[in-house]
Amino acid sequence: MNNADVKLKLKEKEKEIEKLQKQLQKERLDFDSAIKLLTRKDVKLVITQQELEKKILDLERAKEEQMILRIRELAKARDIENKTAQLEKLKESLLSALADLNKARKEEEKEKNKTLAIIQNFVDGIFVLDNDNRVLLVNPQAERFLDVNGNDLIGKDFLELSHLPTLNLILNAIGKEIKDIFRKEVKIKENLILEITIAPVMLKEERFGSLIILHDITREKLLEKMKSEFVSIAAHQLRTPLSGIKWGLRIILDGEEGELRKEQKEILERIYQTNERLINLINDLLNVARIEEGRYVYKMSYVDIVSLCMSQIESLKNEIDKRDIKLDVEIKTRIPKTMVDIEKMNLVFQNLLENAVKYNKRGGKILVKFEIEKDNVKVTISDTGIGIPEKQKDKVFTKFFRSENAIKMETEGSGLGLFIVKNIIEGHGGKIWFESKEGEGTTFYFTLPIYSQSDFLEM
Amino acid sequence: MVQKILLIEDEDLLCDLLQKKLSKEGYEVFIAKDGEEGLKKVKEIQPDLVLLDIIMPKKGGFEVLEEMRNDEKLSTIPVIIISNSGQPVELDRAKKLGAKDWLIKTEFDPGEVIEKVKNIIG
Repeated sequence: MNNADVKLKLKEKEKEIEKLQKQLQKERLDFDSAIKLLTRKDVKLVITQQELEKKILDLERAKEEQMILRIRELAKARDIENKTAQLEKLKESLLSALADLNKARKEEEKEKNKTLAIIQNFVDGIFVLDNDNRVLLVNPQAERFLDVNGNDLIGKDFLELSHLPTLNLILNAIGKEIKDIFRKEVKIKENLILEITIAPVMLKEERFGSLIILHDITREKLLEKMKSEFVSIAAHQLRTPLSGIKWGLRIILDGEEGELRKEQKEILERIYQTNERLINLINDLLNVARIEEGRYVYKMSYVDIVSLCMSQIESLKNEIDKRDIKLDVEIKTRIPKTMVDIEKMNLVFQNLLENAVKYNKRGGKILVKFEIEKDNVKVTISDTGIGIPEKQKDKVFTKFFRSENAIKMETEGSGLGLFIVKNIIEGHGGKIWFESKEGEGTTFYFTLPIYSQSDFLEM
Repeated sequence: MVQKILLIEDEDLLCDLLQKKLSKEGYEVFIAKDGEEGLKKVKEIQPDLVLLDIIMPKKGGFEVLEEMRNDEKLSTIPVIIISNSGQPVELDRAKKLGAKDWLIKTEFDPGEVIEKVKNIIG
């Protein structure tokens, strides 16, 4: 091998080395970057590891806490078991209570249905209103009476139903509000007169609404009218022959048809008195019929009632003397004129004084007293007569009442007098009452309001 | 001159008794037993006073009174009602028709009726 060759070869080798060196260099660079990369990854791993370690720690801590919790829960569970047992017991008793309640509710339901059935089938018409006067219930009879459909009315204000003709009639009678106590008769149509009654509905002390009851009184009214008409006609027809008897006897008694013997005159006088009693009885019946028909009209005038009383005392003078009764009139203050119906007040004095005379003892006393009490004249008429038995006191002012001892003493008497008297006094706006002890006497009191002359002129 | 009284009353006994009593007092008494006859006689006789019952056959007392009030020749004749009816409405109606008085027969004796007559025509 020559030099050149060697040289060439060397050069070649050198080149080769250079190349290798370059390659090595490059590889080192690569390696470096790989190392760098690795190092970076290593750091990441370390961080990850740290994080993992932390998590494990957290988990362990959580596990510990859970353990504590479980222990606590276990304790609780035991407690709960006890409590559950108690609850079970409670449940049982509650269930039995519930069963009772259900039974009671069913019972109540049954009762409610019963009540409802009664209301539905009631002969009276019924409206139930709540506190705002809204209709809660209308029963079939009310629908029939008023020719309305109950379903259309439910929930509506009762006072706003005047567009319905039949309800309009009722509302006119009731007025602008539902009163707690109300009773009035309303003619709905020919052959139907209803008595309207309003009553509050209470539910344990608390007002729950109102009840409007429609009661058919058509038949009662018809009978009442027929009775009154009968009494009026009968009384009138009876009066005519009685006036014939009265006039005839009077003319004979006055000797206009020739002198009578004493005995004849006596008998005729007694017949005349008997006839007068009959006339009075018929007048009483007529007055009662008028009171009941509401036709007892008052004709008021301004009079001195003391003088009315005096003239009645005067006309009883014979009877008073005959029985040896001592009658006193006591007037301590001036009694002003009062507005009364003269004819009717005469009836009052006549009845009360007649009773005081008729049922008095022989030689008894009567005291008539006039006083002023507030804005009233108070009249007292007391006697020393037979009195009114205790157990019959509440019947004194009722029609046809006569006390047992009065019947024994005097068989005559219609039992209408005090009924009429009470009506008259109350018709004047006054009051009447009495005190009595059987065997000792009776005192009647009545009051009449005093109106001034100007009051009277205004009326 | 004798004063004439017309008694319009359907009840015979009352009629007879009153007639007797009035005649005794010196009045000339004419009788009618129902409203129709009564009205005829009022026109015929032109009495000084009429005693008039209310409930009568043919024509009632109120009709008689009304027709008298509408007749110029009869409207001034005083009328006393004698009836056994006597309700306030009836009394008012009679008063409005100019009746002088209203006597309920059972409440008055014939003597008292005569007194009322005398008070009006003497």
